[in-house]
Amino acid sequence: MKYLNDLRFIIGLFFLIVSLILIFTGFFVHNSPLTDQSGNLNLYTGIGMLTFSALMLAASIANHQDS
Amino acid sequence: MHLTWIDTLIISIYFVFVVGIGYLLKRKIKSSGDFLMSGRRIPLWITSLAFISANLGAQEVLGMAASGAKYGIMTSHFYWIGAIPAMVFLGLFMMPFYYGSKARSVPEYLALRFDEKTRGLNAITFAIMTLFSSGISLYALALLLETLLGWSFGFSILLSAGIVMVYTTLGGLTSAIYNEVLQFFLIVLGIVPLVYAGLHRVGGWEGIQAALPPTFTHAWTYMGSASENPMNVDVWSLTVGLGFVLSFGYWCTDFLVVQRAMAAHSLSSARRTPLIAAIPKLLLPFVVIFPGLIALALMKISSSSGHTFQLPLKPDGRVDYDMTLPSLLSYFYPTGLLGVGLTALMASFMSGMAGNVTAFNSVWTYDIYQAYFKKQATDEHYLRVGKLTTIIGILFSIATAYFAKSFNNIMDLLQLVFGFVNAPLFATFLLGMFWKRTTANGAFWGLISGTVTAAVIHGITFAEGKGGWLVSVPLHMFTSAMAQAFGIAIAAWSSCFVMTAVISLWTTPKKDSEMIGLVYSLTEKSKDSTEHWYLHPLFIASFVIACTLICNLMFF
Repeated sequence: MKYLNDLRFIIGLFFLIVSLILIFTGFFVHNSPLTDQSGNLNLYTGIGMLTFSALMLAASIANHQDS
Repeated sequence: MHLTWIDTLIISIYFVFVVGIGYLLKRKIKSSGDFLMSGRRIPLWITSLAFISANLGAQEVLGMAASGAKYGIMTSHFYWIGAIPAMVFLGLFMMPFYYGSKARSVPEYLALRFDEKTRGLNAITFAIMTLFSSGISLYALALLLETLLGWSFGFSILLSAGIVMVYTTLGGLTSAIYNEVLQFFLIVLGIVPLVYAGLHRVGGWEGIQAALPPTFTHAWTYMGSASENPMNVDVWSLTVGLGFVLSFGYWCTDFLVVQRAMAAHSLSSARRTPLIAAIPKLLLPFVVIFPGLIALALMKISSSSGHTFQLPLKPDGRVDYDMTLPSLLSYFYPTGLLGVGLTALMASFMSGMAGNVTAFNSVWTYDIYQAYFKKQATDEHYLRVGKLTTIIGILFSIATAYFAKSFNNIMDLLQLVFGFVNAPLFATFLLGMFWKRTTANGAFWGLISGTVTAAVIHGITFAEGKGGWLVSVPLHMFTSAMAQAFGIAIAAWSSCFVMTAVISLWTTPKKDSEMIGLVYSLTEKSKDSTEHWYLHPLFIASFVIACTLICNLMFF
């Protein structure tokens, strides 16, 4: 519960959920050839968001351990 | 545009989180100060991101992409000339007075520095302006959702206004600020993949340069003459009108943005808020303007390669540039990412609306209700008024949205009048903060004079069908509506500046002892206690200005 007072944790949690949905979609949902021309955008964005969420969650957890 | 259950799921998760933030913050609201000013305890990184996010509303996200398609990279002037220098000035020179004076709002600073009538004038115009801006934002969102997804106008308005109402009423300013930070990341991370995919498709910046005329890919080269560049403005109008009057008038005096810095936990953080916010602001053109350039290049490339990308047309046959970003989302984004992109668009609308509503409820409660209706009441009473004002503000925004739907021209007129009011404001603050001889009567009549001058100049000049309502034959034709807006702003500011100075010399100023902490020459310069040299305001300001110069040179 204490983590929910930290905005970094909330933002990290949000992007964690969204990134997992995008990664799932990137692997399992088929797109039109036109949208696939730039690569698997869902997968790339999902990985990017997952990294961002990991950073936010780690910052939040580290902050709580320090205090 | 067709949404699947995955896209709808992402949008729903976002709604749950924004309302959840309001719910979590509800128990921290114990006083009117907590609700309306966040108790002045928000960390620096949050106030900095909220500072730019409050401005990152729909008009910015959709409007800058549209301007990118219409004017090219010259649109970056709204950032690198029209925002960054003013943000730096606010942080270095003005925040110590706003924060150090203990004023709870910008109008309250005017009351302390000048008098009640100057505060009242500023508070009332600001309150009306924020409500109408909030309503316009809501109207634009409903129109967009109706066009893109086929959602009914009424449903779109009730859904988005309802969500903003829940989280701002529960958690007040803190909730709005926290959500603005979430919305900032969502907008950036939701649009960056579009820029990546777009640049990949058109062959990067070189591809854009090859596809578009050079006037669209150079920010300064064609500024020598108004007729040579797509904006049809000259370098004087741009640097003085936009880069000084309008930019400083907005970023240094508009309570909507200044309120975010005033919520910081210390003076040092309040000063650094606009300075740190300037760093992402510097980079935003790559996120919000580049899609416009990509759309243009894509139209050229697709017409020769067989793939079709076209911007939609308005009923009168002109290109609907406002649909640039939604069209690109629909073109590039697959299921999943489309949900993220649409959520980012909705976030920008909600962020703009919440920013307006939270600024409105502070100004109404402290500068109008407490100042003129009930001076001595308990703090609980003002807390209740603040919450009630939030609800009334949102209901008024809904009414404005419906009003705008029926009378779109009325909204243009209101925005024009608000422009008249805002343009001279920075002259009042500049003189008030840096010239102790400035008097209350000088400030008040200077503001009135600036507003009247703006209206008269608009009435006797003409550009793109705008203005000329005072005379049968306009006395001057501007090269574009934008040049006209910049010209009016310069005239209004100059009129306010001269009138304030002249009247101040004829009237009696306040005693020096009453202006300590409010005027530069009478205020002790506090040393910044920042531990690290790289966090010192002067260093951050120098860094930001250097980066701004580099960006201007890169796209010269």
